[in-house]
Amino acid sequence: MFRFRPAPLRAAAFLAVGFVLLRAGYRVLFAGASGPGLLLLDLPRIPLAGPFSQIALLGPVTAGGLANAALSALPVAALILVFGVLNAVLDVSRLFARGAGRGPLRTVSRALVIAWATFPALLDSVMRVRVAGRLRGGERSIPALLVPVFEQTIERALALAASMETRGFAAAHVVDGACERPVVMTDAALGFDDPQADEPERGPDGQDDWHLADLNLEFAPGTLTVIAGATGSGKSSLLHSLSGLFQHFFEGRQAGRITVGGANRAGTPPRDTAGFVGVVSQNVRLSFVAENVRDEIGFALAVRGVAAVIVDQRVREIAGRLGIGHLLGRPVHALSAGEASLVAIGAALASRPILLLVDEPLADLDAPARVRVCGLLERLAHESGVCVVVAEHNTREWTGAADAWLELRGTRAHRLEAGEVPGTAPAAGPAGLAPAIPAERKHAAPGAPLASIRHLSVRRGSDLVVDDVSLEIASGDVIALEGPNGAGKSSLLAALALPVARGTVFVAGRDVAALRPGDRRAAVALVPEHADDLLFSTTVAEECRRADRAVRRTEAAGDAQPTAARFAGLLGLDLASARHLLRRHPRDLSAGERLCLVIAIQLAAAPSVLLVDEPTRGLDPGARALVGAALLRAGRTASAVVFATHDRDFARTLATRTISMQAGRVANGPLVGAP
Amino acid sequence: MIGAGGRWTSGILVGGSILAAAGFAWPLFAAAVPRDAQAAVPIVAFALVPALVVALALTLDREMYTAKTVALLGVLSAVGAAVRIAGTGVGGVEAVFVLLVLAGRAYGARFGFLLGLLTIAVSSMLWGGFGPWTPFQMFACGWVGAGAGLLPRVGRTGTGAGPGSRLEARLEIALLAGYGIVASYLFGLVMNLWFWPFAVGGGTGISYAADAPLGDNVASFTLYTLVTSTLTWDTVRAVTTVAGIVLVGPAALSALRRARLSGTRPRSTSPRGGGTRTHPSTAPGAAAAPRTGPRPSARA
Repeated sequence: MFRFRPAPLRAAAFLAVGFVLLRAGYRVLFAGASGPGLLLLDLPRIPLAGPFSQIALLGPVTAGGLANAALSALPVAALILVFGVLNAVLDVSRLFARGAGRGPLRTVSRALVIAWATFPALLDSVMRVRVAGRLRGGERSIPALLVPVFEQTIERALALAASMETRGFAAAHVVDGACERPVVMTDAALGFDDPQADEPERGPDGQDDWHLADLNLEFAPGTLTVIAGATGSGKSSLLHSLSGLFQHFFEGRQAGRITVGGANRAGTPPRDTAGFVGVVSQNVRLSFVAENVRDEIGFALAVRGVAAVIVDQRVREIAGRLGIGHLLGRPVHALSAGEASLVAIGAALASRPILLLVDEPLADLDAPARVRVCGLLERLAHESGVCVVVAEHNTREWTGAADAWLELRGTRAHRLEAGEVPGTAPAAGPAGLAPAIPAERKHAAPGAPLASIRHLSVRRGSDLVVDDVSLEIASGDVIALEGPNGAGKSSLLAALALPVARGTVFVAGRDVAALRPGDRRAAVALVPEHADDLLFSTTVAEECRRADRAVRRTEAAGDAQPTAARFAGLLGLDLASARHLLRRHPRDLSAGERLCLVIAIQLAAAPSVLLVDEPTRGLDPGARALVGAALLRAGRTASAVVFATHDRDFARTLATRTISMQAGRVANGPLVGAP
Repeated sequence: MIGAGGRWTSGILVGGSILAAAGFAWPLFAAAVPRDAQAAVPIVAFALVPALVVALALTLDREMYTAKTVALLGVLSAVGAAVRIAGTGVGGVEAVFVLLVLAGRAYGARFGFLLGLLTIAVSSMLWGGFGPWTPFQMFACGWVGAGAGLLPRVGRTGTGAGPGSRLEARLEIALLAGYGIVASYLFGLVMNLWFWPFAVGGGTGISYAADAPLGDNVASFTLYTLVTSTLTWDTVRAVTTVAGIVLVGPAALSALRRARLSGTRPRSTSPRGGGTRTHPSTAPGAAAAPRTGPRPSARA
């Protein structure tokens, strides 16, 4: 409640002084500064005409008149100062945090708490987008900065809303769940209306066109079921047809019957089943609704109106069980990826669910964190008797833990028999591109060094994140940069694309740090990990045209091919067959297609070296093959490609060389020139 | 847009706004009050406006209590507050109207009103600027957002669905930009009106005089507001607002509409479809994946 910060007081003091001066100004301007005392300025009095005839300007200015003016301003100035003091010592945001649970102003106060918790994310997002603008060759236009930030904000709002909904926010008719039958699906089918179509889709025979159909499934308590399938196959839809978000939040269509703990899912929104269904969303960081870990885990209980003492006790109990007791006071934005996953699971456990739904929990995690999360979910199923359902395309980690596997192929969910491995069925679509990797590239003879990095170090705060790295990149190289989370891969790539110090990064003999933005992009271009930050137009075609214009402006074009054609080429299409993609909103593309779009944009200036940070993050095998093929095709425009990844298999199929990083250093000795 | 809303709610909102407008315009009404009571008029106005802020917020609170609305209100008011605070250093470049106008347009008058209220509340909390002026700012910003939600439709479709053709999309931006100009100047005008007597004090040609005829006070106020803000701050604000709406309006509106606040499904004929959010890898997952990528294969 109480604390002291000087800024409001200072601002109030400025305002108060400004107010006094302003009032004196008005008096001088509008003939009010005359009076006793020394005559300071003998200005002529100018009467106005027309409707303003009773008003005159200027007139003599005396010391007494000014003093009077200042004195008359003092009460209001004092009031401003008083409020400055109040603002300096009162922490109003805490007041709202208290009202956020209940009370007649709960909408407003909860919105305020969310706003408060949004600021760190907003700041991060602005920083990232500014870097992205520089990477795109000095895109400094206002939309280039604001639109990606805004998109991220809306995305955050939706993720938050989904997470609040599944934790019982605004529940009106709370339903009790029956433990014995957590999930029963009978002849269920799921479908979305196509955004392109005017009417809901109908097949040729007038039947509804379902995305997934004939779902007859039952999940038992105390089991762990993994739903596998490619991105876009409907894993998340199936998972969230159980959480209810699919039907009630994302406006999907459901046929047949789905019951969750005995409740009819089609008729019961997620908020009403929050007492026995726990949900861990895909991007856990976006789903955090509170400022610190304690409030985050206790959220579901707090919105239900459970007494603070009991909430606190329950939060500590959960934290103890998950081994995150030391994190309770930590702000949620200061958590590592692994910690954030555990906190999100803890938050989902707050209401003691009988059904726990987890969407792609491993996507962001490194190996140790994956093991920890898998182990935790397994124990919840097998020791605590929770029915755990996981949607995941990273199937390898679950082989020991899962009791049952569902694989989505086409519109069907197949229950795999014991010993059957998911992913063995031929995947549809772009996976067929994998063999397109030209073998000869792997044996390309390294030419003269194209780029050299000399004693490059990067500091972040007091940490040395890149420690004296030297290496050379030859023309024709496709280099995989490997290493665990936090090894400095991203920092190294960022420092190559936007070097801070001169004399560290040379491409074709020129010091990159000394180049103008346009020339720099012709030397090195980076596709950052959050590649979406580079996108800000409303159609793919417009995005491509912008990239072409930027290149023409800097006259660095070495490649006459327009970006749209290059984008189509990266996808293995010709321009005509990619036309339907060009009309779309960039954020309506699939993850793989979007990454290809950003690669195409970054190739616009025909860079000598193309850097790509984590191209496979969150992609299924099909999309990985698509991006892999695109990277090799990109190698025809750029002379060398460097990509950071912790996907060993991906690195092995593409790279001509592998470089490992560990704690900021290139691990296995000097790699200068060694293929 | 948001729910049907009872007639009661509308009545309270309109009535409350009219009362608040009277609170803003107290210097013009004070002469109508008996002489003995005139001294109390500003005090009544200063108590009335904050009370009305609370009353209208209470009225909207129940209706807005859904996860999506609260989350959108929260993050958008954070954006608004950040924009407002970033703008204070740049002398009157108040880009916050851009957000209020666009969000009010996309999500309706009631959302726009609450967003205006909250944006001011959050930014005041952030830089510690709470004071007697805060409720007035809240109302004025709330009206800016609400007004955008009350603008007429463009073409066949409503504010929620967004316009169909390219031409309609441009018309809509032009409409919003025009509204932005009007709102910028009106905002300056009403904010000057209630504060004018305090800013100038007594003893000048443009001072507020409780016993003067209404015409004189109006003339004084007109000159005051021209000198104080209309020619300077308000013009800068109008220019910023128009520039912002034209530059980021189309993309921001489509982002807002893709989030689809309302439960009703807009039927749109626009080439891309009027509002489907599909961020496959990054979004909360659920909606995202199924709509993209291999739909054809799923259909097979």
